[in-house]
Amino acid sequence: MKLCSPEAQSLPPSSVKPVSRPESLSGLRIGFLDNTKPPADKVMAHLDQRLRERFPGAQSFYVSKTAASVPATPEMMQALKLNCDVVITGFGD
Amino acid sequence: MTAPFTALARNQSKVFGLPNMQTAIMPHPLGGLPVPQVLAKVDAVFDEIVAKLTTPLPKAQVESKLARSLWVEVDVKDEWADLQQFFMDQGWGDGMLAMPPTEERVAAMVRGSGFPANHVVATLAPKMGVATVELIAANAVMAGARPYHMPLLIAAVQAMAEEQFNLYGIQGTTHCVAPLMIVNGPLAATMGIHSGSGLFGPGPWANGVVGRAIRLILLNIGGAKPVEMDKATMGHPGKYTYCIAENEAQSPWPSLAADRGFGAGVTTVTMTGSEAPHNINDHDSTTAGGVLLMCFHTITETGQNNVNHPGEPMLILGPEHAGTIAKEGFSKDDVKRAIYEEARIPLTYFSHEQIERRLTRYLPKRFKDRHPSDAMVPLAQRWEDVMVVVAGGTGKHSMYVPSFGSTRSVTKPVLKPDGTPWTPEDFK
Repeated sequence: MKLCSPEAQSLPPSSVKPVSRPESLSGLRIGFLDNTKPPADKVMAHLDQRLRERFPGAQSFYVSKTAASVPATPEMMQALKLNCDVVITGFGD
Repeated sequence: MTAPFTALARNQSKVFGLPNMQTAIMPHPLGGLPVPQVLAKVDAVFDEIVAKLTTPLPKAQVESKLARSLWVEVDVKDEWADLQQFFMDQGWGDGMLAMPPTEERVAAMVRGSGFPANHVVATLAPKMGVATVELIAANAVMAGARPYHMPLLIAAVQAMAEEQFNLYGIQGTTHCVAPLMIVNGPLAATMGIHSGSGLFGPGPWANGVVGRAIRLILLNIGGAKPVEMDKATMGHPGKYTYCIAENEAQSPWPSLAADRGFGAGVTTVTMTGSEAPHNINDHDSTTAGGVLLMCFHTITETGQNNVNHPGEPMLILGPEHAGTIAKEGFSKDDVKRAIYEEARIPLTYFSHEQIERRLTRYLPKRFKDRHPSDAMVPLAQRWEDVMVVVAGGTGKHSMYVPSFGSTRSVTKPVLKPDGTPWTPEDFK
């Protein structure tokens, strides 16, 4: 029996070229994108503190989504792009 | 992230072009734990996070596939046992018997659409699956829909792909949301979409198979496979099938389609991101005020997303309740205003964590300068966001359907490829 698979293939993505990873975070700008799911704010603040303790001169930059179930806006992504060398975010809860 | 969200995160990084995104995975959960326990979990992966931020990325495996259907040869002895097991093994179905999508059946379904098989209707989240007419047709066959239902399904797919619908959020969330399909206009009856007694339940009409086709499309084209990609904690029965028509003949007010600017000759499909319906039983009230009072106090529940998200709570009034309200001269907009103004929840009904983390954070303007002891929480941001639909049959029951919140309903006309509306004459 010949059947049509009901499963779609994904739209071929426009490949994102990631920037090179730094060897150290010292002196760099670390971005935190808070997905607003509790307790993401506390997780990010804790990571921020520990990273700045380990890497002297590191600075932090925070962006918070408006709600967990909506994507970050283009303005938020642009702010992260302009103000950060690396970005950390959370997923799920 | 925590472990249960790994598959969804990996899929999203792949379909959005960054397949080698680096992750640190913690044991679930983080939410609901005392802060010291949360931070201990973070500390356990801290060195891994640092290493992944400072180590060159592994080479990405780039996949490039064309948007085409995949036809498979299946060797089975028994269509109603072996083949159904094959569907389950492939993860294609919803767990119930499915019609085999053979060449003949799929081709008939494609013809019913009026479009060519390879016409791309939309891409559907979270997989960003390419919804060709042929794939929509294959899922419609499996659901038991008929070829003349294809125009409805195409309009529904177009609606769900609109950005404001937030299909990604709806498909992946832990919330129990399912798209509810509401059909208005002349084709509702032609296509067998029931608007009267028992419309949410079983019966010899097409609501079941059309709603099921939407679910199979979301599973197989959108890729929202339960547990891995659809992270619903509970789900609800409407995730099998959730399709109704508005009872325009017995409504005292203009239809939902008319509210949205469509004329009487145009069939429309409205897709909403909705929880399961909750009954409002009022056999005794004989006035508009009485019926509405019952509505106000039934729908003011604290655990719904409408208290802290800017969604569209929906009241589905039975024709008898709607008639009782309308005979006193109240319009549909009057009902919406009344719901917005009167159906409010004291802020003191919420825990201080809810107030701090959700209510004041998601909707700061609503609670600005309000003391918790006298603040009341409405179910919508503005009265216009309340949806009122008339449906159902004989009896003194109505329904409340809370929204997912982070979504806006979308109404699409049911159109032919040339952009003109499908009409009942096209199906004679």
